Amino acid sequence: MYLITKNDVKKIAKALEEKYTLYGPYLDADFGQCFFDKVTSDTVNLNAPIPANPPKHVVFPHLETIMQYKYDKNARKADIAMVFDDTPKALFGLRSCDLTGLQCIDRFFLGQEFVDEVYRHHRSRMFIVANTCVVPFKQCFCVCTDSGPAAQEGYDLNLTDLGDSYLLEVGSPKGKAFIESFTFAPATQEHLKQKQKIVEKSITMFDDIATESKAWVSRVMNRVTTGFIKEEIWEYIGNQCIECGACSYVCPTCTCFNINDANTMSGDTVRLRTWDSCSYEGYSRMAGGHNPRKPIEDRRNKRFFCKLSYSQSKKYLRPGCVGCGRCAWVCPGDIGLPNVVTYIRREIHE
Amino acid sequence: MSYMPGVCTFCGTGCGHYLKVSGTSVQGVFPSRVHPVSKGRLCVRGWNIHELLGTHERITRPYVRDSGEVTYRDAIATLVSALSSYKPEEIAFLASPRSSNEDNYALMKLARLVFKTNNISIQAESGHRNSLDVLYKGTGFAGMLGSLEDIRKAEVLIVAGMDITTQNPIIGSELHYAARSGSLLITIDSRMTKIAKLSKKFINIKPGTMRQVFDAIAYYMDTQQWGNTKSAHYEEYKKYLATVPFDAIEKETGVLQSEIAFVAERLAKAKSAAVFFTSGISGLSHDTVASIFNLFVLADKIGKEGCGVNPIAGINNLQGSFDMGCAPDLLTGFQSIDDAVVRKKFEKKWKDQLPASKGKTVEELLSNNSSPLKALVIVDHDDGIVRFSERLKSLPFVAYIGSFTNKVAVYAHVVLPVTTYIETDGTFTNAERRVQLSSQKCNPAFDVLPMWKLIDAIAEAMGKPFNYEHASDVMDEIASLTPAYEGISHKLLSKKHGVQWPCTKDNPGGTKYCVPHNVAFVLPQKPYAAVQVTQEYPYLLMVGKAQHYWHQNNIMHKTFIPLREYNATLLLYPDGYVAIAPEDAKKIGVRDRWPVKVVAQKAEMKAMVMISDDVAPGTAYVPYFIREGIASFLLAYSDIVSQGEEATIPVRIEKV
Amino acid sequence: MSEQKIVTVPEIATIEEIKDEIVDVKTFYLRFDNKEIDGNFKFKSGQFIMCTVFGAGEFAVSLPPSPENDRFHITVRRIGKVTNALHDLEVGDKVGIRGPFGNGFPFEEIKGKNVIYVAGGIGLIPLRSSIVHVLQHRQDFGRILLMYGSRSPQDLMYQYMLEEWQKIEGFETFITVDNGTPEWKGNVGIITTLFDKVEIPVDNTVAFVCGPPVMFNAVIKELMQRGIKDDMIISTLERHMKCGVGKCQHCAIGRTLVCTDGPVYTYRQIKTLGEQI
Repeated sequence: MYLITKNDVKKIAKALEEKYTLYGPYLDADFGQCFFDKVTSDTVNLNAPIPANPPKHVVFPHLETIMQYKYDKNARKADIAMVFDDTPKALFGLRSCDLTGLQCIDRFFLGQEFVDEVYRHHRSRMFIVANTCVVPFKQCFCVCTDSGPAAQEGYDLNLTDLGDSYLLEVGSPKGKAFIESFTFAPATQEHLKQKQKIVEKSITMFDDIATESKAWVSRVMNRVTTGFIKEEIWEYIGNQCIECGACSYVCPTCTCFNINDANTMSGDTVRLRTWDSCSYEGYSRMAGGHNPRKPIEDRRNKRFFCKLSYSQSKKYLRPGCVGCGRCAWVCPGDIGLPNVVTYIRREIHE
Repeated sequence: MSYMPGVCTFCGTGCGHYLKVSGTSVQGVFPSRVHPVSKGRLCVRGWNIHELLGTHERITRPYVRDSGEVTYRDAIATLVSALSSYKPEEIAFLASPRSSNEDNYALMKLARLVFKTNNISIQAESGHRNSLDVLYKGTGFAGMLGSLEDIRKAEVLIVAGMDITTQNPIIGSELHYAARSGSLLITIDSRMTKIAKLSKKFINIKPGTMRQVFDAIAYYMDTQQWGNTKSAHYEEYKKYLATVPFDAIEKETGVLQSEIAFVAERLAKAKSAAVFFTSGISGLSHDTVASIFNLFVLADKIGKEGCGVNPIAGINNLQGSFDMGCAPDLLTGFQSIDDAVVRKKFEKKWKDQLPASKGKTVEELLSNNSSPLKALVIVDHDDGIVRFSERLKSLPFVAYIGSFTNKVAVYAHVVLPVTTYIETDGTFTNAERRVQLSSQKCNPAFDVLPMWKLIDAIAEAMGKPFNYEHASDVMDEIASLTPAYEGISHKLLSKKHGVQWPCTKDNPGGTKYCVPHNVAFVLPQKPYAAVQVTQEYPYLLMVGKAQHYWHQNNIMHKTFIPLREYNATLLLYPDGYVAIAPEDAKKIGVRDRWPVKVVAQKAEMKAMVMISDDVAPGTAYVPYFIREGIASFLLAYSDIVSQGEEATIPVRIEKV
Repeated sequence: MSEQKIVTVPEIATIEEIKDEIVDVKTFYLRFDNKEIDGNFKFKSGQFIMCTVFGAGEFAVSLPPSPENDRFHITVRRIGKVTNALHDLEVGDKVGIRGPFGNGFPFEEIKGKNVIYVAGGIGLIPLRSSIVHVLQHRQDFGRILLMYGSRSPQDLMYQYMLEEWQKIEGFETFITVDNGTPEWKGNVGIITTLFDKVEIPVDNTVAFVCGPPVMFNAVIKELMQRGIKDDMIISTLERHMKCGVGKCQHCAIGRTLVCTDGPVYTYRQIKTLGEQI
């Protein structure tokens, strides 16, 4: 635990940049939208609002080649090679919701019966610097899903803005080894208390969407798990879904993907893995047209079951929602997760 | 730092997005939160546009049929020598509603100035042109009168016969938002669409009776004396309304008089109201658009905030293509080629004479086997044109210009590749007249030219160079010749989410909603032609392409997820289908995906049955498929099919 | 936690022989190019593989051969883009194989029981493996019955096998078609009509059911009415799959994944999945 200056924060970024590809929040120069993407130690902006996109794309790209092959029909010969990306990556200034999301994806891709090799390579050489949310944003409700505003685990280093300086916490041996090359001033228990105060204050600043739902997320989870939700609720939710897939694409924990082979002009074929969404009609449709999940309400039901049921939480070891609120602002309907919780809650009230 | 702002180019909504660009490849997409129209949303197509931009099905080298892959110089030389050997009336240009304004303008100039022909058109002519004609006649503005940004300000919103959440999902989302916050959303349709389910009022009409329903609402409004009687041609319009069979309206259209009265009253008494209807190939007929427009004139909902008569373009630059004069009778900004003063202005700027007489559309020239057409230049077109495959094969010269491989290209003697829209600068005009700049995001992935540059090279080879250094030069020329675009330049548009025309030098901020100097009722051209079923032909066949097959088909085929979602029915019914109600299927004795014969008076076709609750009993629905059997059927009824969404043909359906 | 398995690249296999079964259905006999695997490909009856058709894509397909003493093959209906491409291949062409995946049939638990197979149309393909296995271990089971129905005599799968099976003593086979032909001498009627003609064991009996959803539901009803318990009815489900290893989630039904938890389920499990079959 150290007390460092803002300039020291930049030094850390600079040092990381030398060994890793640096990813972090930055503001788009034209319109000021915040993204989490490749940055330099000069462009990374820890004061930027919560990034529009979660860091998921760093380890699970929107579109990636996972295999390449060439089949020579005349020689009857097939050459196959997997394509992996194991460049070292540093995620700098990760907010706690996104860090929790990354942990969920880890547990899903790495902690089940089968290990996803493509993901494992992406994740294999990664350094994580988390950033405590001193002020929550309008959309946030991580306090309802136990994933913020401060990161508890999973980071190598954690930063908390104490006003005139930063509190630097070390969360792993890798983080400890990295920080050894610096001569930072140690922090005291006083500083840690100061951080706790800041976090407590941050919690009081959440918007209505979080404060109203706080106790409800767990009650709704109970309902979703046991299935005691009226058909009409799903129908109401389903009617509002225009099947854009945005909720899955912006969700820090959604991992559904599609695989397609595309023939390139050089005669090779690439196997592409792209994001997919359970809200799409074609998602569960089988060749020949039979679709066990045709009605839209069945598909909506599937997503919220995935995010809010105990049985699904088992694979993440926590709820599938991390309270980042992104699904609410990209939804063309009115069925972001907080609203769905509200609809179900209203039903419980009645 | 690889997310670069841009404009989605699937449909006419013109949503703002960011493309994740690395080198020359696009690896992802993300919505723009601050874009005034899309506000952080995208639809399934928009969310997967990188699949298209990353396709391997690109045209990478110029090609001449007898020589194979050649240099641009040789390909252009072949094109120029072929085209110069024909008379102007034998040459035609098929422009693409997907090209940027700069590209379309350059093509239009090439046709008129260099090859002296007015035979230039886009294929998706009928629907949007009908809308623009009516709006231009009635208000002097050839574009959407309202604004998508204003949807939330309207008290009453009407969606007329459009599956808007499928065609332009983000506009559908805006309507839904408005409805949630208190606007009265009314859907008038013969199918139970998603927007119908989200509406507070759904008025289910018999197919083909949209015009009657709107006239009936106007009739009721007028008899209650709620209407505005001050606009020009009111007296004639009143006479026309007297012919509306109001007493028989339920029998004719399936709509109760009380429902008509409800809409009339709410519409007349609201402070603001807007109507949305589909445009493009399956748009509405001139007279139906006129009926809708006239109702809004009568309700006095023109030229005010939150009001508008809003045709919705399904293709990203459909509006822009008309603005750029890609029509046989139009120069830029809906200026008529017949107008000698306008012609003079262009001749002065272009320093040469222009052909004065109106040209013909490519569709007219192709469908009429005795037309003089000999040489055709096609830009980025989809399989829709393939239904004229016989004629295309017989043409002495066809050239194809485009970025992606395409079934049409096989008919071409010369193929000229061009960049995709992210590899050059260009502007696109969305359905609400918003001109947006899409900046170049990467170098061309292959050694290919942007289209505006290619066109310039062709002009140069003909000895009349346009001398464009940059795409912004093209826009500057457009601005100098087009009053509505007068204030627009790439400089003005940079770092901005576009400007809505009319945008003049004095009004660089553009115009959100059009305020006409004079508003006039637009009188219908034809009497009602109610199609009736007979004992011999007991089903009313609707012809449409809205949901299933549209201009975007060509590009949709190069994606994975949009293809899976939007062309689902195409994948399941690869040879086309006719949709009928479950009870009718029982009557005919067929099950889903069984083959049937659809017989009409003039033609017949084979298709698979699709059983659907969306189709009312007694009606059948066939999408605008380009399969040979269906194509020849539709050609026999091309006069009816050209009416677009309302087209109906009495048929009988036989089990095979 | 059990040892974590790793998702591998496809193994290359050669098409040795192609057999036309019925319209649009072909059987492909395959031989692995890797000598260590060929003839030694370990799988359980009821499992499936992911098959790559080079240049077209990958699809999931059940394994019809018995794990022991049976020629390795897959039987595929031409239905989508990838299976169409497979049907266009010739003998000598290569395909890629990943797997086997899934749980397989619970033979240990059903030892000593009577076994009824009820199949509709191409639903016989995934059951073939189990049938051959059970016949190979005849002594471990009680009565063995097959009730098989298809739309017409031309739609009967594995006709050469059916003929052989009918000759096996103690293997009670009943075949029916929805629409007969003049040459057809057997039963005519939908599969449930067989239930009135066959004396079906109920106690100590397990039923394997596979076929199109309409047939499946009708058969289940008949079996339950006769007193066969829902946990004694076993089926194998088909879902849209992309990865085969529980990652893409396309085959999720409620809390289970067909690829890793299935594809073999008891009807008791299927009932609680809360989705159409």
